[in-house]
Amino acid sequence: MTPTPAGTRAGQAPESAATGTRASRKFAERNWVGGSFAWLWLIVVMVPLYWLVITSFKTQANYFITNPLKPPSEFTFENYQLVIESDFVRYFMNSVIVTVGAVLPATLISFMAAYAVVRGAGNRFLQGVNGIFLMGLAIPLQAVVIPVYLIIIKMELYNTLQAIILPSIAFAIPLSVLVLANFIRDVPKELFESMRMDGATEWGTMWRLAFPLTRPALVTVVIYNAVGIWNGYLLPLILTQSPEKATIPLALASFQTQFGVNVPAVAASVTLTTVPIVLLYAIGRRQLVSGLTAGFNK
Amino acid sequence: MKRRNFLTLSAGAAAGAALAACGNEGPGGSESGGGGSASYWSLSGEPGEPYRQAAIDRFNKANPDSKITPTFFQNDAYKQKIKTALGANQAPTLIWGWGGGGLKSYVEAGQVEDLTDFFAKDAALKGKLLPGSFGAATVDGKIYAMPVETVQPIVLYYNKKIFDQVGVSAPQTYGDILDLIPKFNAKGIAPFSLAGQSRWTNMMWLEFMLDRNAGSEVFDNVFAGKPGSWSDPAVLDMLTKVQDLVKANAFQKGFASTAADTNADQALLYTGKAAMMVHGSWSYGIQKANGGKFVPDGGLGWMNFPPIDGGKGDPSNTVGNPGQYLSISSKATAADKETAKKFFSSTLVDDEEKAGWVKSGGVPVIANSESLFTGDDAQFQKDMSAIAAGAKTFAQSWDQALSPTAAEVLLDNIAKLFQLQVSPQQWVDNMNGVIGK
Amino acid sequence: MTTLAPPVVRGQEPTRSRGGRSGSVLVWMVLPAFIMFVFFGIVPLLGVIVLSFATWNGITPEIELTGLTSWKAALTNPGLPNALWVTFLIMALSWLVQTPLSILLGTFMARQSRYRGFLAVFYFIPLLLSSAAIAITYKSLLDPNFGLGAGLGIEALNQDWLGQANLAIATLIFVVSWQFIPFHSLIYQGAVRQIPQSMYEAAQIDGAGRVRQFFNITLPQIKYTIITSSTLMVVGSLTFFDLIWVLTAGGPGDATRALAVQMYQLGFQASLMGPASAIAVILVLVGIGLSLLLRRIGGRADQSQMEGA
Repeated sequence: MTPTPAGTRAGQAPESAATGTRASRKFAERNWVGGSFAWLWLIVVMVPLYWLVITSFKTQANYFITNPLKPPSEFTFENYQLVIESDFVRYFMNSVIVTVGAVLPATLISFMAAYAVVRGAGNRFLQGVNGIFLMGLAIPLQAVVIPVYLIIIKMELYNTLQAIILPSIAFAIPLSVLVLANFIRDVPKELFESMRMDGATEWGTMWRLAFPLTRPALVTVVIYNAVGIWNGYLLPLILTQSPEKATIPLALASFQTQFGVNVPAVAASVTLTTVPIVLLYAIGRRQLVSGLTAGFNK
Repeated sequence: MKRRNFLTLSAGAAAGAALAACGNEGPGGSESGGGGSASYWSLSGEPGEPYRQAAIDRFNKANPDSKITPTFFQNDAYKQKIKTALGANQAPTLIWGWGGGGLKSYVEAGQVEDLTDFFAKDAALKGKLLPGSFGAATVDGKIYAMPVETVQPIVLYYNKKIFDQVGVSAPQTYGDILDLIPKFNAKGIAPFSLAGQSRWTNMMWLEFMLDRNAGSEVFDNVFAGKPGSWSDPAVLDMLTKVQDLVKANAFQKGFASTAADTNADQALLYTGKAAMMVHGSWSYGIQKANGGKFVPDGGLGWMNFPPIDGGKGDPSNTVGNPGQYLSISSKATAADKETAKKFFSSTLVDDEEKAGWVKSGGVPVIANSESLFTGDDAQFQKDMSAIAAGAKTFAQSWDQALSPTAAEVLLDNIAKLFQLQVSPQQWVDNMNGVIGK
Repeated sequence: MTTLAPPVVRGQEPTRSRGGRSGSVLVWMVLPAFIMFVFFGIVPLLGVIVLSFATWNGITPEIELTGLTSWKAALTNPGLPNALWVTFLIMALSWLVQTPLSILLGTFMARQSRYRGFLAVFYFIPLLLSSAAIAITYKSLLDPNFGLGAGLGIEALNQDWLGQANLAIATLIFVVSWQFIPFHSLIYQGAVRQIPQSMYEAAQIDGAGRVRQFFNITLPQIKYTIITSSTLMVVGSLTFFDLIWVLTAGGPGDATRALAVQMYQLGFQASLMGPASAIAVILVLVGIGLSLLLRRIGGRADQSQMEGA
């Protein structure tokens, strides 16, 4: 890989950027406003999470009787038992398949599209496509769910995981293209020019220059889409039917019975869903953060 | 121009063609041919799902060649799911519902089977069900659904311990209620618990207040679509009384943000933070399950809503759900329809079905179940059964009785009435605007 | 507009560096995304547009085209101005609250240290929860009888948070911020980390203090990120539904009934698919308008930076 993609947003000297992250540690440690707010925000974030965890150990019977912020005097695992017995592992796997199966292709094709849109600034077709993507930003899913349902039935995909995956990909595209295109625009033109001089094709330039440089934005897009699809409720509800194809949000809803929500069971399943991802994030955070800053010292 | 012609040509072709061309069977019912394989959609969760599942298991066991496949959905999810499926001609063979206005819209859309002849031929079957339960299954004199499961009148619950503590006795009339309000408020106890965010909870108040004030005729006229039916002076009087209740702090602080789906309203009653509550008979089971010793120790009292002094309504009248309903999709195959009908005439009226719903704590729509009321809940079940059987009129909940369009406007205006955002007169005008819609 | 075949690409690009001979390759690159989006995004949208000119209750097999009836019904619905206002309010307030706080947190987290990494793990968690789960949680915590106030014994927290019009909007904004600030902070964190340290060092030599460095270096350098994050916030707020639905169901009265909620109530509760579709079209139009506006702002920034570079 010949050209070092070392530029930054405004095309500053690459050397300083390469040492940037390390230097910043020593530099200007005291940010009182940010610091105090950060701790305050931690409390704000933690209170509901704390509530979720302790509630998940309460019985439904004493949920309203006990102090909402005190842990129960007797911890019960019956909610977790209930959640796991209701085939939680399968729902979890389905959610993983749907999320990974939608986010990876969505990100990939969005990246290619974003690259094309930025590089083909003078191409009317590409700009038209971009305009159509922009239109997609505000399509409310509730509004289009009936036509989507009909299309899926027509394709004979009803009650399959693909039925959730395909529309999820489509609805992830507009936003992903927008974010990625904005980011690719920041790549200094000189870099593209030098790639071209070296005889690289558009395809090669995309993968060897734009892709590594866009990594922070790709990570953002992946997180944003993954969270949205992971928590998606409407598409699985409408496009699948049998419990074998249910995803976690559907399972969550099953604790909302005909006459009320079983709040402790909901809390337990939310906790159970969240913990593995938090652990994953805690372990992989360094990679994620370096993903967010990578592309500079490569 | 009908959409079918237009759409197949237009850009929305994919949607339109699918709409017009989609098969006749529900998504769950198409796998195996032959003996009929009905699909059945209903609500998930306690207390109903185990008994629904049990009925299907019994049927499938007794009829090895035909099969009913159930799918259960959460309440709100079900409403959206069934609507989407009907619109796409993908309805299940057996459609579970609440009867009334919702059923009427299915009938008008030609989505459900006319069962009048079926019941006419099988008089014994009809005789096994409570006669009052057929009202909400009937549209323009024809029966389109089989009443199933339980009768659920709405009653006035009260916390006996709180009444003892404050030293007052249960209200006999609406006047007593008005007297009780300041007494409870003085002790820092909310007179009534109300899940105002859920809107249909507020509606239960209006249903009783209107009935006790003006009798059942006013709503009958609304239901029949007579223009201006809400303009009865008794309606204005009733609405004013409701707003007076709000102004007198008859409901707990923050009632507008209390939602029925977390059961917080019922928790207020059994934790003694509120003294009374108007709620459906199903609330008994929830309070029993969640209230610890409250129900077993005899803390919960109940009664039909008391009469209003000077009111025209018959004090025996009640409102609520006269039953739940199963319809057969008109798009199902003949074999599937036969399976469904067999299910109706055999399993759904057998002794185990009756015993099951009694065990769930409810009053079955199947007649002559009184002898089964023997457990802990016997007194409650006897009383509910008596209220349901003794009611001169058992009115269906308004939002179920009206068309979905009118029901939405109704619920919206009811919420605003309790927020004091509309005056009684504005309420009447708004509601007159959607009569018959 | 729905033609799937790529039109012939004309070689009339203004600059050599953009496109040029590789134009057709670029068209191929955009095609997978384009086809997917047309198929599952645009076609359904066209269906919705057709429905907005029809009368349909959602369940009859036949849909009658009735011209502008549904549009008239939607536009003369007395609830529309309120829904527009509520939508705008939620959009503006959630942007105003989230943007500065996200920048603040993002800038703070960008400086590496062990405990900040620890903080970041917790900040990340709200992102993982579904809107419905968050709404159920907050509804329970904010219940005036069984919530936070009762738990801590602090009477001031026993407000009717979701039962009074203004409080309900404020609460909604707070919950939205709780859910999304972590995400936007992450974006800003990434952006701030890319600012070359040399710029700060130079500023320090010039004697610029922290505050001035923030306004003269950090803010201008993350301009693009601000636009991107703002677009996500602003356009995203148009389609908030789950959260509002579970938290307030549009209430009290109609105080939090945003367009998306109004659309759902009309379509799926009142069975008026025509007017509901008209509202959906309005939502899409507003969304396009906003994203174009933001892109224009972004475009200008683009130009000025190019001149600077």
